[in-house]
Amino acid sequence: MEHSTGQESHPPAKKPAVEVTLRRFTLAYVDAMMAWASDPLAAAPCRWEPYASTEPLLAYLRDAVLPHPWFRAICLAGEDRPVGAISVSPTEDGCRAELGYVLARAHWGKGVATAAVRRALETVFGDVEGLLRVEALVDVPNVASQRVLEKAGFTREAVLRSYCVLKGRVKDMVIHSFISTDTVMQQD
Amino acid sequence: MERPAPEMEVTLRKFTEADAEALFSWASDPRVVLFQRREAYARLDEARRYILDHVLPHPWYRAICVGGAVVGSISVKLDPAEERGGRRSSRASVGYRVAHGYWGRGIATRAVGVAADAVFAEWPWLVRLEAMADVENPASQRVLEKAGFVREGVLRSYVVLKGRPRDMVMFSFVDSDRKKTRPVEAHEEQLAKSNALVDLGFHVIS
Repeated sequence: MEHSTGQESHPPAKKPAVEVTLRRFTLAYVDAMMAWASDPLAAAPCRWEPYASTEPLLAYLRDAVLPHPWFRAICLAGEDRPVGAISVSPTEDGCRAELGYVLARAHWGKGVATAAVRRALETVFGDVEGLLRVEALVDVPNVASQRVLEKAGFTREAVLRSYCVLKGRVKDMVIHSFISTDTVMQQD
Repeated sequence: MERPAPEMEVTLRKFTEADAEALFSWASDPRVVLFQRREAYARLDEARRYILDHVLPHPWYRAICVGGAVVGSISVKLDPAEERGGRRSSRASVGYRVAHGYWGRGIATRAVGVAADAVFAEWPWLVRLEAMADVENPASQRVLEKAGFVREGVLRSYVVLKGRPRDMVMFSFVDSDRKKTRPVEAHEEQLAKSNALVDLGFHVIS
């Protein structure tokens, strides 16, 4: 086996672990939310269209986020300003809920989403009575998001063909799950 | 494939209250309801009430008939989670039950095939018909495979059945699976479907 010229004889250092806190939303977060809510790239894999102004976003915060059973702002450790959002939404079966998250583009590629998903998995089963399964659906080409889920400890289960229509297009979705008895993976 | 003798052909029709006894015959059978949420019925009146309260108002619920007898039922439900602001759901799920005395003859398989053809024709916005079978129900898994459904994977602790979490095998039959069976009609239907989808506001990529 060849060695690379010169350099390391040991594996590259792991990224320092990112710490996040998940906080309940308040209306005061609306301006920080615009960072991702107005971004077409952040919105692309989501069901919603980017927001052009804060009024409709405030309405969404008030009508959908605040009453939601489990919706949290992703904040970097020691900071109050949210950089994204993560939610676990009920389905027609009480044992099963769906995870979703969105992150401002400035914080992509740093392990923030993975840290937020881990934190959510550590707390949501205690918060939601009867919850046994958290599932997450990701568009087949969105490998980055699938990696986030796998690094947090989700199990990839299947590709669900033509599962949903997202912004006018029929999508195959990869479904992942985390069961209450699974272990959250702490290392990358 | 040979056509079955007319008296053994599987047909579907709407239920009436007069079918209560037939429904009771399988709905009271623990073997049939083993993998269903409901407990077995103990009284004919429960079957009658079920027809009145659930079956008759249901958007798509049919009796499975063989040789003039009602031997089971099959139902298809559009998934409300895929409705978006007035747009109809692109996804539906099918469930079925057959009286124990009629198991092993391919009746459920034929009923699933007839139902799939019917709902894809009636609902042009439908792109995915799915079905689930308990991991411990290989007979039901075979029904779906023989009906042309594709096994996609096992979904862990997907539902709670009679107090216990169950792993379920997910199967689907999608619009493009249909083209494999009848190319000419499928092409005409695909054109009609594309037009219907465009009218509903979708971008259609052929």
